[in-house]
Amino acid sequence: MAAVRRHKRVAAAQPGFLPIKSSLDGNSSVIKRRKRVNKNKKKSWNRFSDIQDVEEFLDDVRLQERATGGLIAEKTDDTLFFVDTGETEEKDTQAQTTVKKGKHSKPLRIDLILQPDSHIQAPKNVLAFQQPNAKKQRRISERAAKLAAMGVLPRREKLLQLRSAAAASGLSVKEHPVANNNPDRAFYDLWSAGTPETADPYYLEQTKKKLVKRPDRLNEKPSVLPAVEVIAPGGSYNPDFFSHQDLLREAHEVELKKQKAEEKLARQLAVNEDKATEESTFKEQVEGLIEEEEIEPQEPEGDTEDTVMGPTATQEKKTEKQRKKEKAQRIKDLQRKVERQVIDKQQQLFQLRSISASVKKQEQRTEMRQAQRKVQQEAQKSMPRRLGRLKFQTPDLDVQLSDELASSLRSLKPEGSILKDRFKSLQKRNIIEPRERARFNRKYKLKYSEKRAFREIE
Amino acid sequence: MGGLQKKKYESGSATNYISRNKARKKLSLSLADFRRLCILKGIYPHEPKHKKKVNKGSTAPRTFYLLKDIRFLLHEPIVGKFREYKIFVRKLRKAYGKAEWSGVQRMKENKPAYKLDHIIKERYPTFIDAVRDVDDALSMCFLFSTFARTGKCHVQTIQLCRRLGVEWMNYIITSRSLRKVFLSIKGIYYQAEVLGQTITWIIPYQFAHDHPTDVDYRVMATFTELYTTLLGFVNFRLYQTLNLVYPPKLDGQGEFSLKSECEEDYALESESYSEKLAALSASLARTVPSVEDEEAELDHFPAEGVKKKKKNLEQNKQKKLFEGLKFFLNREVPRESLAFVIRCFGGEVSWDKSLCIGSTYDETDETITHHIVDRPTIDKQYINRYYIQPQWVYDCVNGKILLPVEEYFLGVTLPPHLSPFVEESEGDYVPPEKLKLLALQKGEKPPEEDEEEEEEEEDDEDDEEEDDQSEDEDEAEDEASLAEMEEKRAQGKSLSVKVTPGKVKPENRMRTEQEEKAEEKRLAIMMMKKREKYLYDKIMFGKKRHVREANKLAAKRKAHDDANKPDKKKKKKKC
Repeated sequence: MAAVRRHKRVAAAQPGFLPIKSSLDGNSSVIKRRKRVNKNKKKSWNRFSDIQDVEEFLDDVRLQERATGGLIAEKTDDTLFFVDTGETEEKDTQAQTTVKKGKHSKPLRIDLILQPDSHIQAPKNVLAFQQPNAKKQRRISERAAKLAAMGVLPRREKLLQLRSAAAASGLSVKEHPVANNNPDRAFYDLWSAGTPETADPYYLEQTKKKLVKRPDRLNEKPSVLPAVEVIAPGGSYNPDFFSHQDLLREAHEVELKKQKAEEKLARQLAVNEDKATEESTFKEQVEGLIEEEEIEPQEPEGDTEDTVMGPTATQEKKTEKQRKKEKAQRIKDLQRKVERQVIDKQQQLFQLRSISASVKKQEQRTEMRQAQRKVQQEAQKSMPRRLGRLKFQTPDLDVQLSDELASSLRSLKPEGSILKDRFKSLQKRNIIEPRERARFNRKYKLKYSEKRAFREIE
Repeated sequence: MGGLQKKKYESGSATNYISRNKARKKLSLSLADFRRLCILKGIYPHEPKHKKKVNKGSTAPRTFYLLKDIRFLLHEPIVGKFREYKIFVRKLRKAYGKAEWSGVQRMKENKPAYKLDHIIKERYPTFIDAVRDVDDALSMCFLFSTFARTGKCHVQTIQLCRRLGVEWMNYIITSRSLRKVFLSIKGIYYQAEVLGQTITWIIPYQFAHDHPTDVDYRVMATFTELYTTLLGFVNFRLYQTLNLVYPPKLDGQGEFSLKSECEEDYALESESYSEKLAALSASLARTVPSVEDEEAELDHFPAEGVKKKKKNLEQNKQKKLFEGLKFFLNREVPRESLAFVIRCFGGEVSWDKSLCIGSTYDETDETITHHIVDRPTIDKQYINRYYIQPQWVYDCVNGKILLPVEEYFLGVTLPPHLSPFVEESEGDYVPPEKLKLLALQKGEKPPEEDEEEEEEEEDDEDDEEEDDQSEDEDEAEDEASLAEMEEKRAQGKSLSVKVTPGKVKPENRMRTEQEEKAEEKRLAIMMMKKREKYLYDKIMFGKKRHVREANKLAAKRKAHDDANKPDKKKKKKKC
């Protein structure tokens, strides 16, 4: 910028410079009296230095540049003047305009107005041409060139070469892994002993070439129940009479239990019905009209007594004598107690048998309890655990009633669903937690409105 | 004294556990993904002993995991894949929204996929571990393979499950390792012994589906994903142990015989081979031409014991139960199950050509020995074969012998189908049908049943037997019993007073031994301490009670049978 400005100033200083505005000339004549001000501060310097002439000059330069695209002083004569030779050119222009006449050829006036009339090029957006990270890029490219010179190719290049080489040799390029449920997927011997790894296991683990060892604890099953529980013999399609009855009884008991629970709940939730009957309404209406003589309340008396009873008013102070007496009594009691203990201890010597019996009894009891606890723990192993918000619900027993039993295999109607059975089995074995289906919750209420077309018809 | 006061919930069980939501956040996965990961890796929720401590004082029921388990999950490479998949879905959705179809296509091609191989290897370090745990996988695979191929789960999953199920059944057939079958009202239970492991699985009946709503299909699909992978690897290894080609191929002979002229009617060209495999009627190709290695006796060690050897022998016999028999299945019987069971024990089986692909011979074949029918009557009967109901096959398998066919003829009321999974201990109530079966297994005619029938005949003379054979037998037995009675009578008569030369009583060694033993036992009981005696008495009392109950049940059954007898007879007469 500074260079350009200097250039302009130089141009203006030259003898042939023609200012466009005339006022620039009269500038020098109006000289005010100089005021003495210290200009040692930037503020005062700015305020009191007269730069109007410079401004005006620069304005003029800018104007020239805008209007003509450069300083007029520097223009060649050809650009400034032309030889007026008469009408020939005018005709030409007219012909052109006539040719171009048409709606499409003529730009809109508004567009013309909005067209920039300046001859100066709009300044370029520097940032648009600047390369971000140019330095870094340059360094990278330099490094790549250096490596290439040494014969080291970048990874992408290397892979590309490998792939092209493979394609050229006819080998198929490595394909995408096949989806797990592809029915034509190939299997192989997974458990064949491969070549044992010789590298450091820590290294392999860190570089993710080897998986972390699975803890043995995870290979234990969470329940001792078998994977497939076979139905009771009564569940045969053509069962033995008694085993069938057994199964039916079992199902019946389950059902009874359920019913009992339901009834209990209903009982607990029942509203105490206190409906108004004719009699009661009549009583209410008559209330107070009939003199009640028989029902003499006896309670008030008791009540009054109760209210009287309360904390005793004041405690009298004990006399010295009383205190002493009490103390002596206390000591005496203590002594007696100690004596009693001593005697008891001596007596225990003679009770050895009964004591040993009681100890034995206690031991026996603990033993029994231990055994019981162990049994309970064993039973717990096959029980479904509480793994979440919901408890495991035992599925209904699959039973066919006597009249539902099929007479032949052909007419057999299968009972229950194996899918559900498997699902419940997984829950029972603590492999998955029991859940209930996530309900669909609508966030906003649905709004119903009639279509206008429909409404119009009605 | 002194030191800092310990803060609550900063050590102990409070720090050993982590709630599900926290774990989810730690892994930065959505709940669905977290659940999936836990299922795949075999991480189960844990119930803490002191919930309130773990829950930092709150008693709200929550799902807890062990912190160490979750830390272990952090190392799993699949977690990254889950996140990738999430991004993939998001991008795909966006592309759909913008209707950028080419972008959708490209993304679908590059869909991130993961493998579960390493997880299987990790969870089942040895092959036998995997075999031990294959029950679940089998049940799930067979279940999923019966699903309709619409909605609910991917068609591909169903196809894969079907393929694996067929492979498994083919293996069981070839190795002849099926042991028990039970037709229940839910489905068919099978039990096989594979490499010394007892494996039980359940197969639903065909067309028996209503989709329950309270089952989380996503969870089940995840389990299936894991189990299909597991079963695939197990199948591969099992096929290898038998020198079978994997993926299974029909052997040359079978393939030839199955090449019928109109196989396009059943399946597409691409599917016909798998369908043929699924028909289960032909044997599989082996990598090494099979030498009859079944007979190869194991090295016999003297220390092994006679019992084991006997068991082995029995098992070998059971394996060849149906060998030499030729079955034909009518169209109303469950084809797949029956074909599977019959082929498992060496029988030949076929069906109508229009029923399914892979039938090997026609109904008109003269060599057919058993024709399995499940309808009251059949029009055209061949004279040289038995027409029996399907239950016969299953009962034979469970009984380990070929049962008499009379009770299973057409239109006959079948004996109950007993569960082979019940093992009665001593003193339990055993249904009479089972007793009969046990007697048959031992190779003797069930005595009491015959006696009963005898009585029946004596009771009413006009009782008609439908088959001549049994009648003949009965007559023969009648004669025998008459002779016996006569003998007895004769003995009774010869009880007149006579002086006979004295005989040295032959000492029965066994009996004396037994007596001695009984005496010893009695003495031992007498010598017991009071406490032990109490316990002993209690045990004996329990046993006795058990026996008493069993007896009661048996008596009840007898009463029931007696009550039903007149009805039956009436029915018979009507017939």
